[in-house]
Amino acid sequence: MGNLINLIYNELFKIYIRKSTWAMYIILAGLIIGGAVLTNSFDNTNERYAGDNWREVLEEENAAIEEEMGAVAGDGSYVNWEYEKNDFYLENDIQPSYTTWDYSFENTGLLSIVSLFTIIIGAGIVANEFRWGTIKQLLIRPISRSKILASKYIAVLIFALVTSVFLILFSWIIGALFFGVNGFDSSIVLEQNGEYLHVSAINEILSSLGYGFVNLIMMTTFAFMISTVFRNSSLAIGTAIFLMMAGNTIVAIFMEKEWAKYILFANTDLSQYANGKEPFIEGMSLGFSITMLIIYYAIFQFLSWFVFAKRDVAGQ
Amino acid sequence: MELVNSTKSIGKKKIIKGLTFTINRGEVFGFIGPNGAGKTTTIRMMVGLMNQTDGDIKISGKSIKSDFKGAIREVGAIVENPEMYPFMTGKQNLAHFARMIPGIDKERISEIVQLVGLEKVMNEKVGKYSLGMRQRLGIAQALLHKPSILILDEPTNGLDPAGIREIRQYIRNLATKENVAVIISSHLLSEIELMCDRIGIIKNGELIAIQNVNETTDQANLKQVELEITPIDKAAAILKEKHNLETIQTDSSLSLQCEKEKVPEIIQTLVAHNIAIYQVSVSKTTLEDKFFDLIGENTIG
Repeated sequence: MGNLINLIYNELFKIYIRKSTWAMYIILAGLIIGGAVLTNSFDNTNERYAGDNWREVLEEENAAIEEEMGAVAGDGSYVNWEYEKNDFYLENDIQPSYTTWDYSFENTGLLSIVSLFTIIIGAGIVANEFRWGTIKQLLIRPISRSKILASKYIAVLIFALVTSVFLILFSWIIGALFFGVNGFDSSIVLEQNGEYLHVSAINEILSSLGYGFVNLIMMTTFAFMISTVFRNSSLAIGTAIFLMMAGNTIVAIFMEKEWAKYILFANTDLSQYANGKEPFIEGMSLGFSITMLIIYYAIFQFLSWFVFAKRDVAGQ
Repeated sequence: MELVNSTKSIGKKKIIKGLTFTINRGEVFGFIGPNGAGKTTTIRMMVGLMNQTDGDIKISGKSIKSDFKGAIREVGAIVENPEMYPFMTGKQNLAHFARMIPGIDKERISEIVQLVGLEKVMNEKVGKYSLGMRQRLGIAQALLHKPSILILDEPTNGLDPAGIREIRQYIRNLATKENVAVIISSHLLSEIELMCDRIGIIKNGELIAIQNVNETTDQANLKQVELEITPIDKAAAILKEKHNLETIQTDSSLSLQCEKEKVPEIIQTLVAHNIAIYQVSVSKTTLEDKFFDLIGENTIG
């Protein structure tokens, strides 16, 4: 066991000593800071509703919206979100504000960037050893090949975790500097299934990350497999990112087919089952999706392990 | 280390055809053969990077097939080039490999670094190292865990003459003082001759000879003798008549084969017959001649 921890330490050391890894964190930090600057210059929620007369401000806004809507349709079929939101604030007597909690929650969307970086790391971690020729040095130690592969895979997951924590913490800090903290009240107002709710930002951030991680782990495992089987990191990065981007399109194209629900990407978004929503394709359930994910995951892992453990390590 | 009928086939083609030989502790074993003969493949099988199709390799009695961890624990190796992580310093590289084997402390690392003489550049990135420096670092990582068998693929590749001599002495020291078995592969014959006790010659995946290095040089009794003399025709006739020797004439010299002990007699005979002798040279049969004898001049097979 101590052995495995040493191996994981080695792998993390090799990840974090390289400048390309630091570039990833700099890019992420840049996106977070840039996002804050943009939001700060376009959104003036905090100024608009800052005074004690914020209720009047909301009512005035709604009156203006009603006037406009009356001119367009006015039969109630069209929902104006701005109006509903203002209504929600008034009904629940919540003073509208935009704090670092809102900003941090919005930035969970950047998890796709984290996925991208994790795929790059996962695609390189085996293929690079072959490219550098150092794989020979690794495999002539008194350690089984499975253990070396496991240490690499775990190191990739740790990278994903550390990077996600960095994303949220850094967003929170930057958000706090730009928008303030609003005490320790972490509740935010957001829309879910057509109605506004006053919810805990911490819960929302965690569940958003949790759903995102399913996709991240599946695609990283896929990239890891391609990289191990073909010893080529570019191929692994390319296919994994392509599939990540095109996943939903692929499902949409084959939507009508009976086997569409067996496509990996139909199952990676588990939030489709949250809050009693209708699933993507008829006949799917949470249990079904989890089973499919486990099957795909097991296939990816088995292929990586099988090829890595059995392969003859010959010249470049 | 013991190889028993080690065989490797790729597809239907047998690349290594049943190698069987033993390497003992305290000896330096040279492994030579032309390019493509199967040296590196054999070394890869020795360290478990490649599976054997048939046969087995035992290291200190432990099979590389069934007890990989036990067997490989005894081995330190450089397979092909001494590849290291270019973005890490020498020290980080050694620490990295040290963490993979239990029982290597900081003292051992600095001891090894001193041994290969890399103290000054330990904190520089390996990417900036010269080939010679990397070769030394490679040897350092192979020795970290005090292996009982050291396998080096072309260890003096890229070293300057001083470096080559140093490594040579160091390898000899390891074998005699620490009782380590050293296996060296090379196609530089002169190097093998200077470093090794025994050599195995491999060609087309077959071991065609195992010889003690000193034997190869001594055993050939017939020497090639070159005589620079005039008149050549007369000398040739005399030698044929008196000593029953076949000679080959070239422009200004005569060459013949005879035992070393006969050379003074030949000279005396020639002097007695008033032949002018400018130069007599006896060429030693080197390992190189032996090598070509064994594998033939057409090396890539």
